[in-house]
Amino acid sequence: MNRCLHIIVLSLTLFYGFFTYAQEASLFSKATTAYNQGKYDDAISYYEEILEAGEHSAAVYFNLGNAHYKKNQIAPSIYYYEKALLLTPDDPEIRNNLRFAQNMTLDAITPLPQPDLQRYYRDLLFALSMDGWAYAGIFFVLFFVGAYLLFLASSTPNKKRIGLISSLVSLMLAVVCTALSYLQYQAYRNDQPAIIFASEIPVRSEPNERSTPAFLLHEGTRVQVLDSLDQWRKIELADGQNGWIPSDSMRLLKDF
Amino acid sequence: MTRTWKHIALLLIIPLLSLPVSGQQEEDVTFELKLSKESLGVNERLRVDFTMNRDGDNFVPPDFKGFRILMGPSQAISSSWINGVRTYSKSYSYTLQPLAKGKYTIGQASIVIRGETYKTIPREVTVTEAVDQPNGAPGADRIADENLHLVAEVSKANPYMNEPVSVVYKLYVSPSIVVSNFRPMDNPTYNNFWSHDIPLTRYNIEEGLFEGKPYRFVVLKRVVLYPQKSGSLEIEPLALDVSLEVPTDKRDFFGSPIYTKTNKVVSAGKRTIQVKPLPTSGRPSDFNGAVGEFQFSVSTTKDALNASESLQAKVTVEGKGNLKLFQLPKLTLPSSLEVYEPEFRENVRTNLSGMQGSVTEEYTIVPGFQGKYPIPSIAFSYFNPKTERYERIDSDEITINVLEGPRPITATETAPKTEKSTVVGGDQFYFIKLTPELVPKKWDPFFGSRAHIAWLFGPLLLIPLFILVRRRQDARERDVEGARVKKANRLARKYLSRAKSALGNEEDFYIALEKALHNYLRAKLKIETSEFAKDKIRTLLTNKNVDASGVDGFIGLLENCEMARYSPFSQVQMEQDYQKASQVITALDKTL
Repeated sequence: MNRCLHIIVLSLTLFYGFFTYAQEASLFSKATTAYNQGKYDDAISYYEEILEAGEHSAAVYFNLGNAHYKKNQIAPSIYYYEKALLLTPDDPEIRNNLRFAQNMTLDAITPLPQPDLQRYYRDLLFALSMDGWAYAGIFFVLFFVGAYLLFLASSTPNKKRIGLISSLVSLMLAVVCTALSYLQYQAYRNDQPAIIFASEIPVRSEPNERSTPAFLLHEGTRVQVLDSLDQWRKIELADGQNGWIPSDSMRLLKDF
Repeated sequence: MTRTWKHIALLLIIPLLSLPVSGQQEEDVTFELKLSKESLGVNERLRVDFTMNRDGDNFVPPDFKGFRILMGPSQAISSSWINGVRTYSKSYSYTLQPLAKGKYTIGQASIVIRGETYKTIPREVTVTEAVDQPNGAPGADRIADENLHLVAEVSKANPYMNEPVSVVYKLYVSPSIVVSNFRPMDNPTYNNFWSHDIPLTRYNIEEGLFEGKPYRFVVLKRVVLYPQKSGSLEIEPLALDVSLEVPTDKRDFFGSPIYTKTNKVVSAGKRTIQVKPLPTSGRPSDFNGAVGEFQFSVSTTKDALNASESLQAKVTVEGKGNLKLFQLPKLTLPSSLEVYEPEFRENVRTNLSGMQGSVTEEYTIVPGFQGKYPIPSIAFSYFNPKTERYERIDSDEITINVLEGPRPITATETAPKTEKSTVVGGDQFYFIKLTPELVPKKWDPFFGSRAHIAWLFGPLLLIPLFILVRRRQDARERDVEGARVKKANRLARKYLSRAKSALGNEEDFYIALEKALHNYLRAKLKIETSEFAKDKIRTLLTNKNVDASGVDGFIGLLENCEMARYSPFSQVQMEQDYQKASQVITALDKTL
């Protein structure tokens, strides 16, 4: 009897993972139905249940953004679209709907033009994903080892020369790729975008209530968090303006 | 006036006296004391009349104690016949000057009429302090003063800032004087007030009471004021130049008073208004000075349209209050909409209770792209002087739906990446995604993971490994000679072990050696060679590409073995042959 129970418990724990996955998938399809029937509130609560269970995907964030957009909630819809874009940065549907949501924002911000050099650097840095660069690095290391072994093993001078040159080149490429991967990792760590949730918030010049407000921000605007002090966050806009706002007036995008 | 009456009476008496006093009817006899006033200033005069309606004799005046007789007694008799009724009156008059303040009694006077003595009732007179204008003939100015009043009626003496106060100027005219014309001297300026004059089309004469007496009055001017400052504010007086006709105490032939013309400047007098400041407690931050009772609304002409069509958004404040004196709250619109400067419209009527109506700002909006554009709710706050509290109205949030038009393109590229902009087929809002593709939330990148490190540096280990293996191989190659010796030893051990043990015993040694050589050939060539002739062996070995020295050596050994059966061989020779055998076998083994 006892053994029987043990087996049941064991099999339960084994299948638990599978069950939860199935449960969340059913939540997702429930949410889809609710959304299609126009019950956006229900859809939102289903999606949030999925997120609370520790699972996420660009699809969930995108759909949450859509549901909030349908309810005219500017900040949450932009927030979830941006989150979806963090997971799949070049999804055209997400970008399209994000533009729709951004239309509802009140702030007009013209981003500072990037210097050419910086732009080329960014183009290079983000040509592959972080893991892409890491894989490329591994590929070149393997190639380097192969080429070097060829150099060691071959007896004819021509083969030796080819082996040595290609091994050195691939070693250099491997180092560059890994370095780029690291730089992207750093850039990712330093990039702390956030979305303003307060409908209107004065951005102050100092992290306290006494200081003079420099300008006003409205909900849905994307800011970059640079620094923090107690409950205050130093933010920067795409046009280079910066100031302090209380942390509860916005939400960080990278909170997973 | 009384004097004129006396004159007139005397004139009338003269013809009457000549008439026979015949039809005198029996009537009650009256004998009265009449005072011109019961209370007078010490510098005024008092006239006392003793009047009777029958002629009498032996008039005894009272002693006017406390008074000095200035004049009198003077007699006046009047007698008239009207419709056969005779009216007769005779009076003795005194003009008295009081000597001091106090209460005095005019005592009894007596007269004898038809043998009977009549007496008057004593009356009291109060003498007060000296008055400014002792009685006498009042001048026209004084009459005008008494009968003409300009009054400013202020609706509220203690209003809030920006609360309307009405001022009505009324000219009160007593019926006894006639106003022929008036002209305002100068119009008051209302400093620290926003003023609105309510024009009068015509002056209406109305009846009213002023200080309890009947008067006629004219409303001259009506002004609505909105105090713009707190504290005590003065309203400048209105001055009026009035031409009027005042009755004099002269009378024309018919006894009606003669009027003289005069000009008089009247002013309404200064009025001070205490203006209360608006309370600071509970004042909303967006309060912009609106005081009154209002309704506030934001509306749009359309809520669904196509791009590049236009719509109007109206911000309206409606109600009673200082509508012209505050700014309407500004509409905040999504930056992606094209918005023109608002058009201001007002529809305000002003009456005595203040401004009333509506003010509107109309924004023209042209959306350029399709999508939804929310117009966020804006708040309007005002002070209600009735409830003495600030009130705040939030407008409804409106969403403009742009149905058709170009897809939105935003300048702000969101992601830091400058991706190749993928061409999107449709220009609509996309439906939700249908495949969940759920992954655990935990972010663990491949970069920096153990697998990454292992894959990155693992392959590098292959290089030293390869070098190590190569080295070993080299070393083994270099050791080939030694290997050969080893092999020869092994072969010799295998085939020559018996020969070795028989070393020293000549006969046995060579038999064993011969046998070993044949055994070797048998093992290597898989043929029986013991019976073979030496020539046959030679050709066999030569066919197997064994070099000549090897063949010669092998054959030589076999010959030695045969020779040893017949001739003795020394120990040294045996040793040599053994060595030679092992060398030959090793040499043969190389080629076979």
